[in-house]
Amino acid sequence: MSDRLINILIDSFPKIIVPGLIYTIPMTAIAFAISLIIAIATALIQIADIKVLKNIARFYIWIIRGTPLLVQLFVVFYGLGQIGIKLSPVVAGVLTFSINEGAYSAETMRAAFESVPKGQMEAGECVGMSYWQIVRRIVLPQAMRTAFPPLSNSLISMMKDTSLLANITVAEMFMSAQRIVARTYEPLWIYIEVGAIYLIFSTFLTMFQRYGEKKLNTYQYK
Amino acid sequence: MSEENLLISVSGLRKRFNDVEVLKDVNLSITKGDVIAILGSSGSGKTTLLRCMNFLEKADAGQLFFDGSTYDLSDMDRKSIVSIRKKTGFVFQNYNLFRNKSALQNVTEGLITGRKMNKEKAVQIARQQLDKVGMLDRQDHYPSQLSGGQQQRVAIARAMATDPEIIYFDEPTSALDPELIGEVLSVMRDLASSGMTMAVVTHEMNFARNVSTRSVFMDGGVIVEDKPTRDFFEAPDSERTKKFINFIEESRK
Ligand SMILES: Nc1ncnc2c1ncn2[C@@H]1O[C@H](COP(=O)(O)OP(=O)(O)OP(=O)(O)O)[C@@H](O)[C@H]1O
Ligand SMILES: [Mg+2]
Repeated sequence: MSDRLINILIDSFPKIIVPGLIYTIPMTAIAFAISLIIAIATALIQIADIKVLKNIARFYIWIIRGTPLLVQLFVVFYGLGQIGIKLSPVVAGVLTFSINEGAYSAETMRAAFESVPKGQMEAGECVGMSYWQIVRRIVLPQAMRTAFPPLSNSLISMMKDTSLLANITVAEMFMSAQRIVARTYEPLWIYIEVGAIYLIFSTFLTMFQRYGEKKLNTYQYK
Repeated sequence: MSEENLLISVSGLRKRFNDVEVLKDVNLSITKGDVIAILGSSGSGKTTLLRCMNFLEKADAGQLFFDGSTYDLSDMDRKSIVSIRKKTGFVFQNYNLFRNKSALQNVTEGLITGRKMNKEKAVQIARQQLDKVGMLDRQDHYPSQLSGGQQQRVAIARAMATDPEIIYFDEPTSALDPELIGEVLSVMRDLASSGMTMAVVTHEMNFARNVSTRSVFMDGGVIVEDKPTRDFFEAPDSERTKKFINFIEESRK
């Protein structure tokens, strides 16, 4: 490796990781939090078994899971712009990722809710708890325990998928890398470098997942 | 049975699942302090009876008298259900402890969230009840760290903590290994002698004979025999009851 290349790589490192800290991480965090709320609501709607709402939930999941994320991003950013709904790239990105991930996690959450034995809900009713108290204090914590590993995987995928945001003009890590390549003509090493930075991020997330699983295991070590 | 001591009665209770009528015009009265053993073969409707009385199952018809008021079991409003449930306890065959809560939290949960009691008071009550069932030293254990018998004792403490007028038990020892049955029955015996009103679905003939004040035999969705326990075992009216008692006693030998 030439000195020039080493200098380029050192030089470009902050130029890539800073957008990562400004865009990739916060956007992933916010979108994931919103997606979780959507997922829990969608799962509860399906379990509550109210026909109209349930059909809406099924329809939402069907559309989102059946179309590419990139297409969804383009529809929300460029498409809505055409009919006068102009969203900033960051807002469009967070919105699309939330809605997209919400549909996938809804299925995870539904399975997790259904894995909590129904008898505990009845026991809750018998000691005078309301439906919402039971969901919040008994069912949800246990469902989250079950859902935690698959949700962590989704979080890691989402973090990596934010590289797609370069396509809707968000100046995140991948776009920065592309710009550096255009300037330096070093596609091999720069793209490996940006890949390595994604790897660092996902390694941290994996460590967080391990830690979280351990914490949540305290009451279910069997 | 004096009228003023009547705590609960159901009359004309009917319940069908799909095409099968599981309860056919059941009538049962419970006086304060009664310990009623509900006996009967599998599928006779014992569980369904208890579940209808506590609204875990919706009855198709029937009246419920509770604590001075009368309700239509097929048309209960939410408010009445909640208010009656706050005065009753239920112990399940498979305990149904909250898996994400410690033994202590299992007992305080209904007090703190259901009854808006402050935490200190709830903990104090919970510790008293856990002590009564011999589980105080395990108060911080989670259900997965307790044996079946221990879990059931916590479940009984949970039911007692809400200071109910009556506790329903649905085969509280049926899921237990034989060597764990005794500890649960002994807790129930203490509870009975403390004057608690109890309705107990059970296959434990010794408990029925020695602890219950009244015994009821169900068969095919109706109550066939309903007598003070001594008469029930010594002079049952119905042939089916006799057969059932003999059958159970034989199979125990
Ligand atoms: N949720 C349900 N859906 C359909 N059928 C049911 C349901 N619950 C109970 N049954 C039926 O109702 C009848 C009475 O059931 P129940 O559980 O009350 O009997 P049981 O006397 O408690 O029996 P066991 O001693 O086996 O517990 C049975 O034939 C059972 O199959
Ligand atoms: Mg039963």
